[in-house]
Amino acid sequence: MKKYLSVFEISYQQEFAYRLNFIMWRFRNIIQVFITFFMWTSIFAGSNKIIFGYSKERIFTYVLGILMVRAFVMSSRSADVSGDISRGEITNYLLKPINYFGFWLTRDLSSKVLNMIFALVETIILFLILKPVFFVQTNPMLVFAFLVSLAIAFFIYFNLLFLTNSVPFWYPEVAWGAQFLFMVVIAEFLSGSLFPIDVLPAVAQDILMLTPFPYLIYFPLQVYLGKLSTAMMLKGIVISGAWLVLLGFCLNKIWKRGLKAYTAHGR
Amino acid sequence: MNKNSFMSVMTQRFVFLIFLLGKIFRFITFGAFLLFLLKGTGGLGGYNINQVLFFYLTFIFVDSLAQVFFREVYRFRPLVISGDLDLILVKPINVLVRVLFGGTDFIDLASLPIILFFLIKTGQILNPNLFQVILFVLLMVNGLVIAMAFHIAVISFGIITLEIDHTILIYRDLLTFARFPIDIYKEPLKSILTYIIPVGVMITMPAKALMGIISPSGVVGSFLFGGLFLFLSLRFWNFALTKYTSASS
Amino acid sequence: MEKAIIVDRLVKNFEITEKKPGFSGAISSVFSSKKKVVHALRSVSFAIQPGELVGFIGPNGAGKTTTLKILSGLLFPTSGFVQVLEHDPWNRKPEFLKQISLVMGQKNQLWWDLPAIETFKLNQAIYEVPKKEYEKTLEELVELLEVKKLLNIQVRRLSLGQRMRLELIAALLHKPKALFLDEPTIGLDLVAQQKMRDFIYDYNRKLGATILLTSHNMDDLVDLARRVIVINDGRILFDGAFEELVNRFAKEKIIKVYLSKEDGMNMIEKIGKVKKIAFPQVILSVPRSTTAVAAAELLQNFPVSDLTIEEIPIEEVIRKVFRGETGKRSSGIIKSGHLNKKGI
Repeated sequence: MKKYLSVFEISYQQEFAYRLNFIMWRFRNIIQVFITFFMWTSIFAGSNKIIFGYSKERIFTYVLGILMVRAFVMSSRSADVSGDISRGEITNYLLKPINYFGFWLTRDLSSKVLNMIFALVETIILFLILKPVFFVQTNPMLVFAFLVSLAIAFFIYFNLLFLTNSVPFWYPEVAWGAQFLFMVVIAEFLSGSLFPIDVLPAVAQDILMLTPFPYLIYFPLQVYLGKLSTAMMLKGIVISGAWLVLLGFCLNKIWKRGLKAYTAHGR
Repeated sequence: MNKNSFMSVMTQRFVFLIFLLGKIFRFITFGAFLLFLLKGTGGLGGYNINQVLFFYLTFIFVDSLAQVFFREVYRFRPLVISGDLDLILVKPINVLVRVLFGGTDFIDLASLPIILFFLIKTGQILNPNLFQVILFVLLMVNGLVIAMAFHIAVISFGIITLEIDHTILIYRDLLTFARFPIDIYKEPLKSILTYIIPVGVMITMPAKALMGIISPSGVVGSFLFGGLFLFLSLRFWNFALTKYTSASS
Repeated sequence: MEKAIIVDRLVKNFEITEKKPGFSGAISSVFSSKKKVVHALRSVSFAIQPGELVGFIGPNGAGKTTTLKILSGLLFPTSGFVQVLEHDPWNRKPEFLKQISLVMGQKNQLWWDLPAIETFKLNQAIYEVPKKEYEKTLEELVELLEVKKLLNIQVRRLSLGQRMRLELIAALLHKPKALFLDEPTIGLDLVAQQKMRDFIYDYNRKLGATILLTSHNMDDLVDLARRVIVINDGRILFDGAFEELVNRFAKEKIIKVYLSKEDGMNMIEKIGKVKKIAFPQVILSVPRSTTAVAAAELLQNFPVSDLTIEEIPIEEVIRKVFRGETGKRSSGIIKSGHLNKKGI
């Protein structure tokens, strides 16, 4: 619909107004990849052994893959929603004939597109500098499953972010803290964007795989690397799909409640 | 000055409790990750598990200490923009002291004992003798001096360009390279991290001293470096002050 | 459409959780919170015809903004009936939203880091305004508000007055049939305020939009509102013609005199009630009907260097309304006869 195209356009423009911020963000992403890369290089120093089920190729593909997958799944503008609510600016959008979720989804999309373009360039450059042995998935079924898991990850992240951003409806002072704790600390760590989950002991892994977080980055990459049996893959997609539905349902309910309780800030 | 920062923090205690929890969670989860990783790989870059963990803890400790001391720097930008820096410049107290210190953050302070505990625990396993411990402490202080030099450079840069927040973040990001002993990085990265952005001197060196694997030239070099860095940053600061254009509202 | 806005026995209560101060208070509030009910609107009723320009006045916390928010669908009524342009605002149907606009002084909808024109384009798309219409409306508004040169400058670089004019355009691009303005002149300098008032007046005249504006700046109402609704503490105290409000509660006028010589100053009490006396200025209040006579007497018998005749400050008028100085109790609604033939 034309409305959302317009939102996409204006959001895209807005990103450029914060150029320095954006570049910093990309820079930090790259540094993280560097560090992780060297860590694994020294672990695999010289040998061709398999560690935690990963060969050299697969682990380096994982590390570089984080950059792209992260850009797709976790680039978002929706972290601004809590500010909108706290400052009362959300009223501007409630007054307009546009769906608030649709609005932010579109904004996220424009951010993702921009980030992915950069991530692609960065990945290519890193690939040329570090010259890792890269693993390319050729099985079309797996590629398809990979894309499906990415789509699910996209929406799970959106729901999680939006849920945390709903906190200011009730506790405006806590909004920042809740977001930091939940999204930055928990989601980043448990999503596999720092390290692959299978480094942890089996018990921890099993528990984690029941939460929605690993399905953001770790699971899609596992699918791509072909490290999962068909059964495990299906199980993962079902669990993540269930989370998606559950989170969406919660979001709807909480949002309705929140709007009602919201005393539309300001005089 | 310090008391004021404390008070304003106390009033938002709940939020800061969350931040503290977040910090600790991060610290523990990465530590746990390292533990499990190293159990499986047996070591990293020639160092055994205990050593790697100690490197990590030294990093966390130095980083936290630096944050405890230099929090005030995070408030520098509004100071310059609003022109309040003028008020400080005319006061008799040393400007640098006022601008660097005094912003001690409650959370950082609260998290220090926990980190220190783990640091000592892991250090003990390595069985250092007294001399090595003393050297470690001295080199850590040297590391803090370098951190201070960094912060001075950042605010000097801030006076000239009004850009501070991003430069600080870059400094923090570069510091995270020293989570691991910097030997694992290939050249030229390793040299960069030693001579140009000396996070290696700040963290890897002191840890090595405790383990008894540092050379005398390494020790001397580190102290010389610390002094040099501080000297350069102070020169930069004085230069920046001459470029200072007092902001009017 | 008979009436643009119908409000019948509208009640709105808010539940406020009282938080105790300090750390222990914060913790205890998580477990047991004390709730207090604020009665923002206590059975408010009024009706507005299409094309009317109505001023809503009252002190802070009277319920003006709450009313506007309910009329635009942001808040839901605790009880009572509300209908705007034949819709229930709370349903927030797109057809309804496309016909209204709410402009609140401090709430900016323009994207801060981009030129205003970008927000305009966005609004055009959101409100689905056809291209030709959009361009025509934009041109008209830009001309009326004199902002042609400002369209392509980043919003954050503009002054408050400039921004407010652009915010108005953003709010009017879709030619709303009902326009709600919350404190439209707040924070503006005198010149800008007058320009804003002129614009609102013109807009109402040219496009026939129903306009409801709130203010506690009385000059807004002097110039604009022919009909005035006075609200205080959630209740309507007066609903009728502005002139009548003034006539009933402002039976006097103020004469400000500047004397060039001090002698004989105390004789001035004979002309009227002295409100303030501090050489060289004397402020008198005289009955409306005899103002001219009093002024003539002053000029004749006193060494006057300057003289002005003014209305009682409207704040005082309002204060009198609130205190029910006509002798009626302040809990009654004072309705002006001829405006409410079909009263609801």
